[in-house]
Amino acid sequence: MKKVLSVLFAILMLLSMVSVSSAEETVVDLSVWGTNNGFLPVEKGSPLYEKYLEITGVGVTQPYVEWNGGTTYNEQLNLKIAAGEMPDMFNPNGMETTLIKSGALLDLTPYLEKYAPNLYNLIGEEVWGSVRANDPTGEGKIWYIPSVIYGRNAPMIRKDWLDKLGLAMPKTQAELVDVLKAFYEKDPNGNGIADELPSGGRAEARWMGQFFAMFGVAMWEGYPQWDLYDGELTYSAVTQNMKDALQFIAQLYQDGLLDPETLLNNKSQWDGKINAGNVGIWEHIPQECYNYAEAIYESTGVQPDIAVLPVIDADGYEGKGFYTGRKLSGIEFVVAKTDDEKKIMAVMQLLNAYGDTSKWMDFYNGVEGMHSVTKDGVTSRLPDDKTTQQNLILTPYNTISTPEFQVELLTSQLGTDREWAISQAIRNVKELAQYTHLPAGDGIPNSIYGEYADIQNRTLYVEYATKIITGEYSIDKFDEFVDKWYANGGQAVTENARAWYAAKQ
Amino acid sequence: MQNASQRAAARTHSKGLADNFRKYWPYYVMAMPGVIYLIIFRFIPMLGSVIAFEDYQVYTGIFSSQWVGMKNFVNMFTYSDFSRILTNTLILGALRILFCFPVPVIMALMMNEIGAPRLKKTIQTAVYIPYFLSWIIVSELIFDLLGVSGLFNRARALFGLRPLLVMQQSKYFRTVYVFSTIWKEAGWGTVVYMAAIAGIDQSLYEAASIDGATRFQKMRFITFPMLLPTVITMLLLQIGSFMELGFEHVFSLLTPMTYSTGDIFDTYVYRVGILQAQYSITTAVGLFQSVIGLVMVVFFNQLSKKISDDGGLW
Amino acid sequence: MRKRSWNDQMFSGVMTIILILCAVIAVIPLLSVLALSFSSKIAVNTNAVTLFPVGFTLDSWKAIVTRPDMWRATAVTIGTTLVGTFLALIITSLLAYPLSKKEFGLQKGIMIMVVITMIFKAPTVPYFLTLRSIGLYNSVWAMILPHILTAYNMIVMRTFFLGFPREVEESATIDGCGPFRTLAQIVLPSSKAVIAVIGLFYAVTIWNQYQHPLYFISDMNMFPLQMKVRQFVTESSELQTIAAKRAVNYTERSLKAVVVVFAIVPIMLVYPKLQKYFEKGAMLGSVKG
Repeated sequence: MKKVLSVLFAILMLLSMVSVSSAEETVVDLSVWGTNNGFLPVEKGSPLYEKYLEITGVGVTQPYVEWNGGTTYNEQLNLKIAAGEMPDMFNPNGMETTLIKSGALLDLTPYLEKYAPNLYNLIGEEVWGSVRANDPTGEGKIWYIPSVIYGRNAPMIRKDWLDKLGLAMPKTQAELVDVLKAFYEKDPNGNGIADELPSGGRAEARWMGQFFAMFGVAMWEGYPQWDLYDGELTYSAVTQNMKDALQFIAQLYQDGLLDPETLLNNKSQWDGKINAGNVGIWEHIPQECYNYAEAIYESTGVQPDIAVLPVIDADGYEGKGFYTGRKLSGIEFVVAKTDDEKKIMAVMQLLNAYGDTSKWMDFYNGVEGMHSVTKDGVTSRLPDDKTTQQNLILTPYNTISTPEFQVELLTSQLGTDREWAISQAIRNVKELAQYTHLPAGDGIPNSIYGEYADIQNRTLYVEYATKIITGEYSIDKFDEFVDKWYANGGQAVTENARAWYAAKQ
Repeated sequence: MQNASQRAAARTHSKGLADNFRKYWPYYVMAMPGVIYLIIFRFIPMLGSVIAFEDYQVYTGIFSSQWVGMKNFVNMFTYSDFSRILTNTLILGALRILFCFPVPVIMALMMNEIGAPRLKKTIQTAVYIPYFLSWIIVSELIFDLLGVSGLFNRARALFGLRPLLVMQQSKYFRTVYVFSTIWKEAGWGTVVYMAAIAGIDQSLYEAASIDGATRFQKMRFITFPMLLPTVITMLLLQIGSFMELGFEHVFSLLTPMTYSTGDIFDTYVYRVGILQAQYSITTAVGLFQSVIGLVMVVFFNQLSKKISDDGGLW
Repeated sequence: MRKRSWNDQMFSGVMTIILILCAVIAVIPLLSVLALSFSSKIAVNTNAVTLFPVGFTLDSWKAIVTRPDMWRATAVTIGTTLVGTFLALIITSLLAYPLSKKEFGLQKGIMIMVVITMIFKAPTVPYFLTLRSIGLYNSVWAMILPHILTAYNMIVMRTFFLGFPREVEESATIDGCGPFRTLAQIVLPSSKAVIAVIGLFYAVTIWNQYQHPLYFISDMNMFPLQMKVRQFVTESSELQTIAAKRAVNYTERSLKAVVVVFAIVPIMLVYPKLQKYFEKGAMLGSVKG
């Protein structure tokens, strides 16, 4: 009797547990905020919601939050927080330090390794170590999911122009100048008009890494980085290397070898000049060079050959130049503080799927018919279209990107008619690795800048650099800039940076 | 003694108000919705300006954020380029009043001289179009027009001149600002003056015609003086927003090469306040700008009251 | 006599020519946006478009006009503009009228208060929290109520009322009209020009607003046109995805141009309709009669 009773009891227990666990299986919805360059929002039950639910088992909703370079996004995020409605998981876009300090965020340390092992292992102990080192409370906690990328930016050159003019790939500064001159004078695009722009870049001296790299200036998309100079962590903008680079660029500008509008170009203007087949050397993201290649082909009828420009040896510079990589390139997500265990577990489940590389293709392809199409068993992404597509907010393939996955992606898109262009991208991604160098200040937190917003925004640097390039200032003004930079907060920021570096070692 | 007389004065004043209310109560009733509206939608939120004296954090809230007194103001005044942004703001504000403000007045007077009503209507509509395009779009166009292959440099080439990149030279920034303001806003500005001209008593013109006045004389001695009260009001309103040069406008035309003449309070606030979500700094700078605007309005209001009886905002 | 009218004609001719020049310069921006909206993808991608379309195509327009959300946004914009302008004219004229009267005891006090609201702006966060607390979050009223009384428009209206001939009002008072009736039956009907102007000012403000929808509206179905414009004006990210080719002849920039034109043309057409109230002497018809 007792036995029967205990068995019955056990069955009852099991049943109740089953019913509890099935109740727990109801979907938890998380509101997630991040970058959105104009795509549609995701409501509960909409196609992308269902897709993410299928991939991750968690419901993800996203309101439309205008990004606008991050400014409008921050404003709206702040209003949400002020109203006590912080999103469950979001990109803090530079506000993490204050949020951590005011206790608004969830400490991820106790959960990640246990409940999101895919992501934890994928990112690796070394990077987590850096994340812990950046804890503004100094307690070595993990407050955020970083983005970890490979060094993907590099200058590219129209190799078909070199071939046409019978020139070899430049290796030294003198050869580079000769190539630029030939591009300028010998009509490589063959239209009979001297409309070639041998090289150039964009406003604020951005995207002209080809000239900074050769002097060993750590520079990411026009943002000077922290690296070791004379054995000490230093802001690359205030080094002798920078002075040499600016002097060279100013000379090129004066000789007409750079686009005269270099310092006025915005993205679409500069891309337009490249797409029209007028630019010889430019910096961008080689994994995407097929975009330029196909656009040039469409507009000129010439199939270009776009190759990575090797790092040039600069005269009088003893070190080896490099293309700046960035591994710990920013913060992808933080999680709002909550006591709701279910919610925390849902976040972990989402992050675990996010770090599961076997699911990346699913994340990438999004919703069939909206983001991608399948033809003959091959799924490929449709071009971005803000009028029809919901915002893909989970992009681990970009934020934890590796050259291997990029090559895999590119290879999957090798159709016969595009092979010529995409194979260039594959070649370039592989070639790029040898030139990439990770500066010592990689992953340095924004908190080192403290209240010195103008140092953080590199205001002083861009003003002097651009004026030196146009020739309005002579290169001698550079020393004045360095003094002014140190006097207006650069000193304090440098001390913070070095303290951070020492602590990290 | 003095206290007592003050109290007496206050009493008569409040008694006067009570009398006034009894006599003119409909005016009080009329004004009430507007006043209540202003209190709810403008004054109560304005109290939040206390965050200028705090180290305000959104998560912590207005009531719990740390009180820092004048620190945000001190930071602003000790900013290394403070004199530069102050000078730039004042110069651009002055140029705006000197050169941009009169244009719509002149344009309205000119439009009044067009005989053909159809043509007049078309021109009126055409000149006000640019107002509807955002600065982002207009500035893109300005960069194009002044670029190497833009109209401006093509015209220079006709005279054998080398291309001039206006947008990257600090000495031209103010000129570009003034011209672009006129381009975008002058036509829109004429609307209110056209309405004012419409209100002018026609018998004045008829009398002048009989006296043999030319069109120019009518414009000079009838239309313009009749327009003056509106012009003065508009001028006072413009002066009240003296420090507001239009963030989007300046920001979209600014390049690092033109900081030295174009960096103003609004762009400074954008860099140190808005980009970093530092609302306390943003508010402190805003308060400073408002106080300057207030001082100027009070001053010019007194001045305009001296000049004309009906002039002045209060 | 003859000479004078010739002088007059010269004068008016010169004015006309100058203004025609101004008009031509003024339409350039719209022309260039229109040109982009009708140009082909290649032309746009290579910066080949200036003032006239290159590789004329309607594809960009088709892509936008076939979107239901654009039309919903248009409906939201028109609705908020109409309701808002109506309310604004009522509350503004009700305040402006007594403030134009010297005998109104609070005239000076309220005017100072109004000027203060013009000069001092509420900081973003407290403003948002206040309006939210009165229930304006995610409501169409958030796009209407904040705009129905602005100091600037009120002051302009008051200036016009100040110029209203006192004799007319006084005779109405003698006839036994109270202030309400005087305002409604005498002053407003003969102030069509100023009502048209202030109505236009409010309508354009509400039509062009983006800040309030940005802060207060989270439901995309309630977005007005200007939010759609912003959605397209946002620059695309540096990082592109490798994508299958699709046979469309538009780009982000040409779509942006379409949306911009789409959003401004309706409100631009309002002004020509209002111009009939600007006929000479519209205000003072009653004075002589």
